[in-house]
Amino acid sequence: MKSVTFLTVLFSLATALTAGAQPSFSGPPPSRTVVHDASVRRAQYLQRINEALDWRIAAIDRQNVAGTVDLAAVSALLARHQDIELCNQRVIELMKTPGSGPFWMFPTVCVSFLGRDQLSAEAKAAIRTAWKSFQIRGDTENHWAMYYTSVYLMSELYPNDPAESWFNGKSSAENRAEARAYLISWMDLATTVGQGEYNPSHYIGEYAIPMMLMARWAQDPAMRQRGHMMLDWIFAGLAESTLNGVLHGPNSRTDEGSVVERWNALASVFSWVLFGNTPPIAGYGGWGNYFMAIADSYEVPAVIYLIATDRSAPFLQRDLARSRRRWRYSAELFMPVYKTNYTTKHYAVGSYQGGISDPIQTHVWDVTWDVTDPRGIHNTMFSLHPLASNHVLQMYFSELPDTMAQDITKQGKPSYTLAGKIVGCSPYEQVFQDLDTVVALYDIAPGVEFPQVNGFFSKDLINVTEDQSGWIFAEGGDTYLAYRPLAPYHWEAYRHFDGGWAAKQEEIGGRLLVSPHLKNGTIVQAASAFDFKDFEDFKNAIRRLPVEFSLKPKPAVKMMTLRGHDIVVTYGEAPTRDGEKIDYAKWKLFEGPYLNAEKNSKRLVITHGALQRVLDFNTLTIADTVTQP
Amino acid sequence: MKTKHKLRWLAGWALLTSAALAAAPAYDFYLCASVNKGYVTGSKITTVSGLFQREADGTWHHIGYNDMSIAAAAFDPRDHNVIYTAALNGCWRTLDGGKTWRQTNDWTITEGRDIAVDPHAPDHVYLALPDGVAVSQDRAETWTRRENGLPERGKYTQTIRVDRSQAGRVLAGCETGIYLTENGAESWRRVLPTTDTVDDIQQSYHDPKTWIAVTQSAGAWMSHDGGATWAKLDGVPSEHTLYNVTFDPRNPQRIALGGWDAGVLTSEDGGKTWANRTAGLPAPHHVWRVGIDPDNGLLYASLTKQTLFTSADFGRTWKAGPFEDSAINNFISLPRAEK
Repeated sequence: MKSVTFLTVLFSLATALTAGAQPSFSGPPPSRTVVHDASVRRAQYLQRINEALDWRIAAIDRQNVAGTVDLAAVSALLARHQDIELCNQRVIELMKTPGSGPFWMFPTVCVSFLGRDQLSAEAKAAIRTAWKSFQIRGDTENHWAMYYTSVYLMSELYPNDPAESWFNGKSSAENRAEARAYLISWMDLATTVGQGEYNPSHYIGEYAIPMMLMARWAQDPAMRQRGHMMLDWIFAGLAESTLNGVLHGPNSRTDEGSVVERWNALASVFSWVLFGNTPPIAGYGGWGNYFMAIADSYEVPAVIYLIATDRSAPFLQRDLARSRRRWRYSAELFMPVYKTNYTTKHYAVGSYQGGISDPIQTHVWDVTWDVTDPRGIHNTMFSLHPLASNHVLQMYFSELPDTMAQDITKQGKPSYTLAGKIVGCSPYEQVFQDLDTVVALYDIAPGVEFPQVNGFFSKDLINVTEDQSGWIFAEGGDTYLAYRPLAPYHWEAYRHFDGGWAAKQEEIGGRLLVSPHLKNGTIVQAASAFDFKDFEDFKNAIRRLPVEFSLKPKPAVKMMTLRGHDIVVTYGEAPTRDGEKIDYAKWKLFEGPYLNAEKNSKRLVITHGALQRVLDFNTLTIADTVTQP
Repeated sequence: MKTKHKLRWLAGWALLTSAALAAAPAYDFYLCASVNKGYVTGSKITTVSGLFQREADGTWHHIGYNDMSIAAAAFDPRDHNVIYTAALNGCWRTLDGGKTWRQTNDWTITEGRDIAVDPHAPDHVYLALPDGVAVSQDRAETWTRRENGLPERGKYTQTIRVDRSQAGRVLAGCETGIYLTENGAESWRRVLPTTDTVDDIQQSYHDPKTWIAVTQSAGAWMSHDGGATWAKLDGVPSEHTLYNVTFDPRNPQRIALGGWDAGVLTSEDGGKTWANRTAGLPAPHHVWRVGIDPDNGLLYASLTKQTLFTSADFGRTWKAGPFEDSAINNFISLPRAEK
């Protein structure tokens, strides 16, 4: 029972609704003007929330309430104090067949609290009774964030109920204590050595919504404060890792849709509602509807808003995260993840050092270029080793081998066992990024399934040129790109699964550069078109770069980057930059112009210009300061 | 419910062969089934999974929670209404035959893989976990980690068995081998190193010194000294994952094991020679679990995504049975409670 969720199912339901207008989804892209007036920003935020609530309520078909009034619709109605009789009716009906775990629990919590002063006694009793039904806790961090937040809040809502009244045979007090202990433990881990499911394209909702619930409704002020602070923490990470609202790599967990069409992610819904700088995806991504129902009680701080929206100057952030928990076949419980994020006005380059961060859904590195309207645009370039391995899966899942890989293809990851996939990480990939240069080296063990490297070449690249120098040049938006495969290759059409439950692959444009060699590598150099006279000028600059590489005995690259740094990258060894060895052990939890935190500090300093917010989990305080000029 | 059920079971038993009844100890027979049909975490459960007990008429009676994630179950030998299950949430316990349940663990324990009760100290419960072993000495009221002697990394524990001949003597099948404790998990020592997970360990019903283990990539192993030393079994392939093994409660010479592509292998001479009994089972021969009914000697084989198959002639012919699209995660033959 892998942790692949039915998020996609819910997303499909949300988008299938024949709802009214979803103006921000179908209308022109939003203005990128940075809004400095707090009251205007607030008004625009509430306007976006209202748009989403309007859409969800408009989707209700009075002739088909069973098909159109789910808990998200009930939440929207309750948020508006509207149609309470319909809410009562549907809650009673829906609670007759409760779901089986965290994805049922947190929506039910949302309805419970929104409706505690509105729903009828019968409806509330139906909810309470449903919490006696069997619930699975799940096996991933996002499952547990949802599960324990839900358990915590419900045990506060019914503070004195006996053990036999809850699904797990524990009293309210026992449930509350256990949930609190876990949530604090999880926050401690995230704020000392980094988040586990970092920069997820969709799973951000599974963290942000529970934390919003906690921030809004926890009775314990300390837990309420923790919810608020984690919400800021998560959104600060989102702000840093987005290019005009579009999340780029690396991503702990993602899918084909988001990797190819970078905007097409639940993360974009959060960018839209919080920062207003990109359109929301269809149906507000399903889960986004729950956020909208309660989001009016939150306001993203100005400092985070500015980090997300100000792309006037390039910045470099280095952050720590960690892999999913490893049960076996590994010397370490969590692999440390060293993330590099270099973002300019026109493009962002992001990576971690390679290796298995999550067994199925990780995206290790990419270049994402900016486009005025990201909808339908495949604005990205990257390469990967398409690993499929029961052994690797066993590191993370407490299941027996042989069935896992095939099962995953039926649980929302249809491409897992395909050579042509474009999502996933590999123990045979090592990546080094220096600003806008990426070197990805591959030393694939003999006998491994899919002994090849796939490079993704988007349909939206123009002027793709296979140069005699060995470089492949291309333009994406206002970004010039140079891709250097280190081993022979051929081209294949990229075949796409449109969603985790798609039955067949389709060609949607784009090609894969397939290099079927065990010893392998990719160099990518990105640059702004405005830094060169023209494309030819860029090509000449790249051709002039001193680049030496070898593949045996280990893949190795020695080159000067376009920005004039000497880098030496050898598979299995620490890379060097201008003669200095990269010592990942010295990396801080966050380090850059915007986010800074020492490892193990539990204290994040968020800075933009004169604004600073300090989230201190040691004292559970939020401190805002403005530096006077 | 369970008492009534037990009476029906006993009546059924008596109607069967009196010779068999005289020859074999009296056992109850259970299985843990995960009936999937497209379930993923979060979706509505539309099937019935969890613990089932075999009725006298051969049908299966569901007990307790509809738990898709159930991996194993264990019973208090003094009272079979006290049941423990190892499951995704950790360990569930019922004291009333399945009417009410309690998740006995907190957040520090998850994904129970196997569970065992010490028949000589029935308050003592052992829980196999992806990150080691937890022990309870108060009927799962509280749990403590007891991993002294297990490696810091490499203690993924897939299976755990208590030696019925000696209190506090337990074998754990881990990622790095078989570990033995003789003091109630105060300390462990490795008695068989492996480079891959030990998937199942079983003790003979007839000779408590005889044990058998199957592994992910190193074939099957047998011990005749209570698990202190092990010898690899010839005739059992190592190239396939072997998922589980079972002795026949009615016949000391009969052993069956199952595995991925290995199908069903049986021995009728105490493990000296093995026959492939896969013919008649649907391809691919992805056998997930085998079990032997202590009541009538039926051999069961669970194939992934298939129904449960039964053989009345120890694997020579097979018949499809219930539990469509299921994985049977555990078969349990349980000496019947005296009261």
